[in-house]
Amino acid sequence: MSRLPVVKGERIDRGTAVEFTFEGRRVRGYRGDTISSALTAAGVRILGRSFKYHRPRGLLSAAGHDVNAMMQVRNGGRSVPNVRADIVPVQPDWDVTAVNTRGGLARDRLSVFDRLGAFLPVGFYYKAFHSKRWFPHWERMFRSLTGLGEVDFEAAARSTPKRYDFCDVLVVGAGPSGLAAAIAAAERGASVLLVDETPAAGGSGTYARGGISDNSERTESLIAAVGANPRIRLLTSTYAAGYYADHWVALVAPECLVKVRALNVIVAQGSYEQPAVFRGNDLPGVMLASAAQRLLYHHAVAAARRIVVLTSNAEGYAAALDALAHGVEVAAMLDLRAQPGPASEPAADELARRGVLTHYGVRPIEAVAREGGEVGNLLFESATGAPAGRQKIELDGLWMSVGFAPANALLHQAGARMIYEPAVEQFVPQTLPPGVYACGKVNGVYSFDARIADGAYAGACAAARLGLGTEPTVKVKIPPLECPTHPYPIFPHTAGREFVDFDEDIQVKDLVNACQEGFDSSELLKRFTTTGMGPSQGKHSNMNALRILAKIRGQPMDGLGTTTARPMFHPVPLSHLAGRRFSPERRTPLDAEHAALGAVWMPAGNWRRPEYYAVTAKPREEAIADEVRAVRTQVGMIDVGTLGKIEIHGPHAAEFLERVYTARFANLKVGMTRYGLMLDETGVVIDDGVIGRLGPESFYFTTTTGNSATLFREFGRLATWWGLQVGLVNLTGHYAAFNLAGPASRAILRQHTELDLSDQAFPYLGVREALVAGAPCRIMRVGFVGELGYEIHLPAGYAVDVWRALLNSNSTSRVRPFGVEAQRMLRLEKGHIIVGQDSDGVTNALELDMPWALKLDKPFFVGQRSLRILEKQPRRQTLVGFTLPQPSSGGTQRRPKECHLVLDGTQIAGRVTSVGWSPTLARCIGLALVSPAVAAGKQLRIRIEAGEEITADIARPPFYDPAGERQRLGELT
Amino acid sequence: MSRSPLDPELLKFPHVVSAREQAVLRLDDLSGHSRFGCKGPGAEPWLAAAGYSVPREPNSAMVDASGVMVARLATSEFLIEAVDGGSERVDSALRQLGSGSRPTNVYPVARQDMVVGLQGPGIQALLRQICSVDFVPLFESSGPAAGPVALTSMVGVGVVAWPRRTQSGPALRAWLDPSFAHYFWTTLLEVGRGVGAMVIGSNT
Repeated sequence: MSRLPVVKGERIDRGTAVEFTFEGRRVRGYRGDTISSALTAAGVRILGRSFKYHRPRGLLSAAGHDVNAMMQVRNGGRSVPNVRADIVPVQPDWDVTAVNTRGGLARDRLSVFDRLGAFLPVGFYYKAFHSKRWFPHWERMFRSLTGLGEVDFEAAARSTPKRYDFCDVLVVGAGPSGLAAAIAAAERGASVLLVDETPAAGGSGTYARGGISDNSERTESLIAAVGANPRIRLLTSTYAAGYYADHWVALVAPECLVKVRALNVIVAQGSYEQPAVFRGNDLPGVMLASAAQRLLYHHAVAAARRIVVLTSNAEGYAAALDALAHGVEVAAMLDLRAQPGPASEPAADELARRGVLTHYGVRPIEAVAREGGEVGNLLFESATGAPAGRQKIELDGLWMSVGFAPANALLHQAGARMIYEPAVEQFVPQTLPPGVYACGKVNGVYSFDARIADGAYAGACAAARLGLGTEPTVKVKIPPLECPTHPYPIFPHTAGREFVDFDEDIQVKDLVNACQEGFDSSELLKRFTTTGMGPSQGKHSNMNALRILAKIRGQPMDGLGTTTARPMFHPVPLSHLAGRRFSPERRTPLDAEHAALGAVWMPAGNWRRPEYYAVTAKPREEAIADEVRAVRTQVGMIDVGTLGKIEIHGPHAAEFLERVYTARFANLKVGMTRYGLMLDETGVVIDDGVIGRLGPESFYFTTTTGNSATLFREFGRLATWWGLQVGLVNLTGHYAAFNLAGPASRAILRQHTELDLSDQAFPYLGVREALVAGAPCRIMRVGFVGELGYEIHLPAGYAVDVWRALLNSNSTSRVRPFGVEAQRMLRLEKGHIIVGQDSDGVTNALELDMPWALKLDKPFFVGQRSLRILEKQPRRQTLVGFTLPQPSSGGTQRRPKECHLVLDGTQIAGRVTSVGWSPTLARCIGLALVSPAVAAGKQLRIRIEAGEEITADIARPPFYDPAGERQRLGELT
Repeated sequence: MSRSPLDPELLKFPHVVSAREQAVLRLDDLSGHSRFGCKGPGAEPWLAAAGYSVPREPNSAMVDASGVMVARLATSEFLIEAVDGGSERVDSALRQLGSGSRPTNVYPVARQDMVVGLQGPGIQALLRQICSVDFVPLFESSGPAAGPVALTSMVGVGVVAWPRRTQSGPALRAWLDPSFAHYFWTTLLEVGRGVGAMVIGSNT
């Protein structure tokens, strides 16, 4: 455990020291160090505790999968959980602690679980937690004991950008085969995006050197060629986390998520080196050989002083040579095979020449910890198990190189079919979807030359698919000299603690027990034992678990099937997934006017609207009541620009409206409006609005605020489906609208238009086009709030000037702006419904008690057939009005709220849909959807807060001006 | 006079305005240009008869010698704007559409759009954060007077986007519902700040 002299290709900046704290201890590393490499260089080898048994754990892969070395990092007031120490570059002044400990890493009190393992077999919770009585107890206990890092709920949300990218060929993995693929595709004219999860390209070509630098220099040449090719863009520290349809790949870059749409995807992600499974294989100091090589060549750190290499392939011998080249003593080579393969022989001979003893045909029995918990000895024996053959070697590092598992998650997600290839003891692609290619180790190709050739072939094929060059006629196939992966590197021990899954502390016996319980398929085994369900998602455990399952079932590997890692198959920061929050908000053109008038905002669909206008020293309720009174007694004005506003033109315009609304429009006179209800095919009310006829073939109509976009799309679909000659225009955002209402509204409007506003010229429910304050407007005489009123619609660009002109009219009656809350009360006093509030997703038109709006004798409208059927059936619910008695003077009154339940005996019989205090009537009024039985009575029993009940009187709306005289006021005067 | 949908206060963001020569992005409020829309079976012959250069294919646009752009948004829907001049012609046509002498089978489409102009070397970096369409091939197939039009979504808002190559480099003009003006503009400023220095302007 020491920092080496300068190593060619090292990724640290020795000129810039980085000091940080780990578990309270000050540690010094260099810029470019990961947390793990800096700690290892400083002699710290226990980096974390295991998830279940809290065993001390150290570095394993140094490749982003060391889930037992995840850290809580505090810096500058921020606390970030689950930082992967093996890949995250350490920064100055970080305060780093291991996650999931009680009392610190060195004295973790929860390590007692390591002695309680016999009581905690996998699946114990399935059997122990089914009791309803005890489940809450267990749940609390386990929630407090388990988990990884701690989320800082006080941390400010990070707004990470989100980016799109595009390319002809996306190459995932910039190892030797990926580099070759990128070059081949680019040289044929393709635009290539090459991504690699590590900070620099080169993959295993940069660290698996075998003591010499031949392959690393060739890798450097490939990297240089990539850099020199303008058609290739290289993104490092970026991993492909998921494949979606049509070559849509999610890339996780350091600061953002990148959504790449590629025309072709080449997967060159290589493989994950796999651990051997034997007792004590999790002790700090026991690591994958590739991890040790990464430390050597990327960070100039020797992970041990005296090692044993446990191997069954040429890569293990190469790692031993790498160790020797950097002064690490190789105490022995333990080869699981009876003899070295042809690819291993040159290195084996070299090691023998340098005095390293190799034991062939052996198997590990146990790695034994020294005081402090780190590995100190290795017991092994001959593969036959002869007692005389048992030996013990003292060491401080055990490097494992027994095989690989392909990093083929993206290929699985893309729909590739895999087949188990015995020659390399791994799954390889059998068939690939169009535009998806694989090369290198993921393809079962391991020698350096073969990977280069395989990558170049894939790149050429991808380019050819784009029409760039021709597809190579013959695939270069270089058979492996020896199998890189041992078929069964698993050595059970009677005392257990031979870990298959380091994330979840799964041992061999756990898998055996699961199979005995009947969970003996790959999917069931995974779920029962949780193998592969930890943060590394089985990258180091799934293959060994499958090998154990195959052995138990006596089946070949090919017959078991594999699980597909769903996207994102590698953990992604939640801030990346959230990305920058695009939440489009709509504003009317009068927004700034409202703000200047003191508007208090509320959301309405995706709009913001004034709920009311604040008045100094007046509470909300009083301000709203004043707005209501202004409309009832003088004049008010509300911005209704959020209404959907649609024009329809053409010879079939009236016919179209006849079909989509329940009212009749063929006979609507030009210059008049009519209310319309819109239903779906089941008769449920989905919208309402006012439809005005501007000409024989032209109508202008409104929809509710939240429905305009959806309905406009639906109208287009219906018009096409019905084959009607109509042209639809959505004016919703392009037109402003405000309602000038109140007894004085006519007098106000008259000041700004030359239009004849007399009842004869412009009657109630009329629509006219005229200039108002110099702007072209459509004016509808409607009475939603129950007073004489004019709804003025105009192009958005003129809205501010007309609004100001009306507001500043020269009159004894001041025009008072009013907000949504006042409007809700004004319409409630009139008993006018709001679709979506006084109705719900199952309320049909018959239940709203509006027979005047339903023209069932029309030839057709959407929902008509259903209403005819429903007409003959008992009502499910009915909309009724109710009032509360006027409160006694000075007394307080308990009032219901919207959605409070209406009771019939002990049964729920409905709910309150609208309710409020009417300043006009000086009492509480409301609407409720209730059962017909309750509607037939005289009173409602309403459950309010805290289970209290109150009684309301059923009253038929309108509550105010039942004859509707005020909205026709002009006719009366 | 018609106002821009954009609150003038939003053109005064001092923290994004920097020296023009350092800017990688320029955002302009171009809402003040004269424009109209029309659709219907009679729209194309009426436009052609009025002397407009009408693109033959949907999702394409042409600018005539007087500086008027005609974008064909669908088989029979058009957006006409005086992008580089020709305001009087456009205003005249707009008046005709709104009058009683409206041509047969031509339906006016109110276009009170928020119009945003994007320009500068950082335009691609910005577009790749706000839209899922690859604009590189669209720029490549466009010229100063004719090119493709994309009906797409930017930062969650539906837009008509017209990329074109100009003498000063790639530029893009986006038309959108004016009710999104505040959100669209402020979001673009936020995203743009991550791209580099910006200037904002208006010819409204």
